[in-house]
Amino acid sequence: MTLLVFLASKNWYDIRDLSNISRVILEGLDRFLPSGIVYVVAVLLGFVASFLIFVLPSQLIVGVYGERKIIGRMQSRLGPNRVGPKGLLQPIADAIKLMQKEALTPKFADKAVMWVAPIIFVAPCVLLFAVIPFGPNMIIADIPVALLYFLAVSSIPVLAAFMAGWSANNKYSLYGAMRIVAMTISYEVPLVMALMGVVLFTGTLSLQEMVLWQKSNDIWVVFLQPLAFAIYFICVSAELNRTPTDIAEAESEIVAGYLTEYSGMKWGLFYGMDIGYAIAASAFAATVFLGGWSFFGLDKYIPPWAIFIAKTHLFYFLFIWTRGTLPRLRLDQLMTFAWKFMLPVALINLVVVATERMLWQELTDGKLTQGYLYLFAIVNIAMAVAIVYAWARMLGYSPKDETPMRPRLFNDARGYVPVVSEKGGR
Amino acid sequence: MEGFGVVLSFWVLAAVTLVSAGGVMVSRNLFHAVLFLITTFVGIAGFFVLLSADFIAMAQVIIYVGAIAVLVLFAILLTPHAGRDNGETRMLLPALLLSTCLGAVFIFVIVDADWRTISESPSVGVRELGSALLGTWALPFEIASVLLTAALVGAIMLVRSPEEEAEDALV
Amino acid sequence: MSDQVKSEPFILNIGPQHPSTHGVFRVKVKVDGERILDAEMVMGYLHRSIEKLAEERTYTQNIPFTDRTDYLASMSNNLGYVLAVEKLAGIDVPERGQAIRVIMAELQRLASHCMAVGAFANDTGAWQTPVMWTFREREKILDIFEMTSGARLTCNYMRIGGVAFDLRPEFEPMVRKILADFPPFIEQLEDMLSGNEIFRARSIGVGVLSPEMATNSSLSGPVLRSAGIAWDIRKADPYSGYEKYDFQIAVGYNGDCYDRFIVRLEEMRQSCKIIRQALDGLPGGPHSTQVPLALRPPAGEAYARVEGPRGELGYYVVSDEGPTPYRFHIRPPSFINLSALREITIGSTVADAIVILGSIDIVVGEIDR
Repeated sequence: MTLLVFLASKNWYDIRDLSNISRVILEGLDRFLPSGIVYVVAVLLGFVASFLIFVLPSQLIVGVYGERKIIGRMQSRLGPNRVGPKGLLQPIADAIKLMQKEALTPKFADKAVMWVAPIIFVAPCVLLFAVIPFGPNMIIADIPVALLYFLAVSSIPVLAAFMAGWSANNKYSLYGAMRIVAMTISYEVPLVMALMGVVLFTGTLSLQEMVLWQKSNDIWVVFLQPLAFAIYFICVSAELNRTPTDIAEAESEIVAGYLTEYSGMKWGLFYGMDIGYAIAASAFAATVFLGGWSFFGLDKYIPPWAIFIAKTHLFYFLFIWTRGTLPRLRLDQLMTFAWKFMLPVALINLVVVATERMLWQELTDGKLTQGYLYLFAIVNIAMAVAIVYAWARMLGYSPKDETPMRPRLFNDARGYVPVVSEKGGR
Repeated sequence: MEGFGVVLSFWVLAAVTLVSAGGVMVSRNLFHAVLFLITTFVGIAGFFVLLSADFIAMAQVIIYVGAIAVLVLFAILLTPHAGRDNGETRMLLPALLLSTCLGAVFIFVIVDADWRTISESPSVGVRELGSALLGTWALPFEIASVLLTAALVGAIMLVRSPEEEAEDALV
Repeated sequence: MSDQVKSEPFILNIGPQHPSTHGVFRVKVKVDGERILDAEMVMGYLHRSIEKLAEERTYTQNIPFTDRTDYLASMSNNLGYVLAVEKLAGIDVPERGQAIRVIMAELQRLASHCMAVGAFANDTGAWQTPVMWTFREREKILDIFEMTSGARLTCNYMRIGGVAFDLRPEFEPMVRKILADFPPFIEQLEDMLSGNEIFRARSIGVGVLSPEMATNSSLSGPVLRSAGIAWDIRKADPYSGYEKYDFQIAVGYNGDCYDRFIVRLEEMRQSCKIIRQALDGLPGGPHSTQVPLALRPPAGEAYARVEGPRGELGYYVVSDEGPTPYRFHIRPPSFINLSALREITIGSTVADAIVILGSIDIVVGEIDR
């Protein structure tokens, strides 16, 4: 799989390929640093650059504009609009406020673990950006198992949440922490299966190769496998503890969640990385499903990292949309949904995708032409709807037999009126 | 394995892993012991990366840190006396004896083995691993999956409430 | 084998500070894992001894007290009290006064149900979007109250023998605008919530109330009607001219939280219908009869009840020919509705307990008085 020739040149001022700037900086540093240290500097530079260019503005944009103002507009109110232009500097004000607050630790809590838990929560969210391709040459670590890296790193914040809940020495935080762990590990399984379906088609675990596959075949995986996209979205919402599955944060209405005893910047780290982790998951989805930095040929003219950032924010908007609209599910309903619905549907999806891959191999005698992909896309979109509908029916979901949406109306107060049960009517 | 970065990371990882392993043994709080165990797992994953076995490194993190550590945590939570001091035990003498014997065996093997180094690292990609698992080694793979399914079913059977058991009783 | 994995029940304290908007109210639940074994309610955090204080004030001075018992439905409270005193003193209310009273009571029902429906959706976790929408509509109604009576929440508008002030000329266009806006808004809420899978899963089958338990606990209001019992004081024992208007009672199917929700939505629709009829046929004439300042009703007792938004709101007034009542007792619907809470909560999870509490729609002001 050869890299296509881009119009982005090798000049250092050509921002369409940011690796030019970093290459110039690193080559300059290599001249007077001992051999090998420049790699460490390269990694640091990559982290800092991706954090400053991508994560921090995204935090400001989606963290304020998306989360608070768009949700505010959904609730027919304005969001924050005092601090900065259109309220965009609100997280900075929040961060300053949190930093000057006293971070209380309860007397009998486990101080070391409580101090370490936010750190372990922040680290994976930052590490995730190492493997995400922002452009054709702009990736910090192009490892061949990048997808597994994502899965591996995303199982660490679970432990951090558990540590946070345990160390607070509070019966209710522990309660909340165990619930999160149970929910997260049950939603990891359909997530992996959905991603395996994608891997079957692209034939590689490396994210840069996936983007190149989507670019060379002129199709995005979301059209090819809509069911995998839907499963990924729901499972990643559950991993991130976002509504409608946010029993971690909002079960704190009733039982104090795992974040009770956290205040000040420790809480601020959890909250900030909530958004940061969501941005990482959106970036990952934009790479795997939505085509990464490629856009059917437009990425020669527009900087590819801008396209990528736009896609990430588009996916993040889906998170915000469901958060503003849907109520929350109970824990046992969530578990039932994960194990009885998501897992079988993901399995069926995997079987269907594997069959199609084999057909693709056979029908084109190993050459894997592009035309069949469009056929598979149409078939998959129809099958996604069919599978979901059929499995829901099989599980016993029949909306017509349940309570109708309007109550009965009577003209006089006659006392008890038993429900006359007719099949499929009121 | 040459290069300054490789050597530095080897020593750092070795230090981290050994200190965490020591912490598992030494810490009196059971929960702290588990946390040190998790750090040990991550250190070992780092070693796998150094040996260019990237798939196994990621699998190590996913399986050990993501699943087995969580399992151990749940087991601690469900045990009645998990808050006790980890250091008190009645098995001190047998444990000391056993660990000395095991340590002797390990040291003997390490010293006496013929540590050949290969000239270039073999590139075993994920593709070769997958075809080996499903081709040559299909039988152990299937046995492992049957074992895991049996464990899953067993765990569910253990926590059924009496009403559910009565429902499914074979009478 | 399974009784080796045991978990002990522990007592969880819900309240008295609620994140949900129900006031200071405490429920001690005994929880075993997830299931609730027992629920004990502790009330009295908002007791202000209104009933005792009312014995020292004249009948007209007691009207602001009734505002503050159920602070979300002050017009209905006022109406119940003045009906009781009028029954006691034998005073007739002119036609215009009765029609204005009906309009105000139904507008108050709209506002109160807006709040109830929004808070209920908030309890299920819809993260304040429905609350913001319903509060937006409620603000319009509160503007009307402020224009007519001078206050948004504690209106103090009804007087013995009629209402305090006559309607202003801007009243009718504003009410007509609300009547035009509300039915589409109710449809919007139905689209968003009643048809929502997650909302239905959270509330159907949760907190099921059987009709026998409902009648045995003397429940009233939407809680009673959701259990399948068609009973509405406005139809069964009409007051203030309700027999002239044509409207229906909404009755639920199973008695669960979802039924209470849809019954409240339908009641909002019926209220719009009543307001339109009352406004169309608003007669002229005086808005209240003249009543002496220190009213001394003949000795006796009277009990008057109205269909408040939460249920049957009753006032029991005993007079001993003095300027102040001898005994003044309120039958609060929330307090009586809560007596069924324990039975319907046992066996559900803690998250369900909050949803059930939200669906019963209590106001602690009238529980504790």
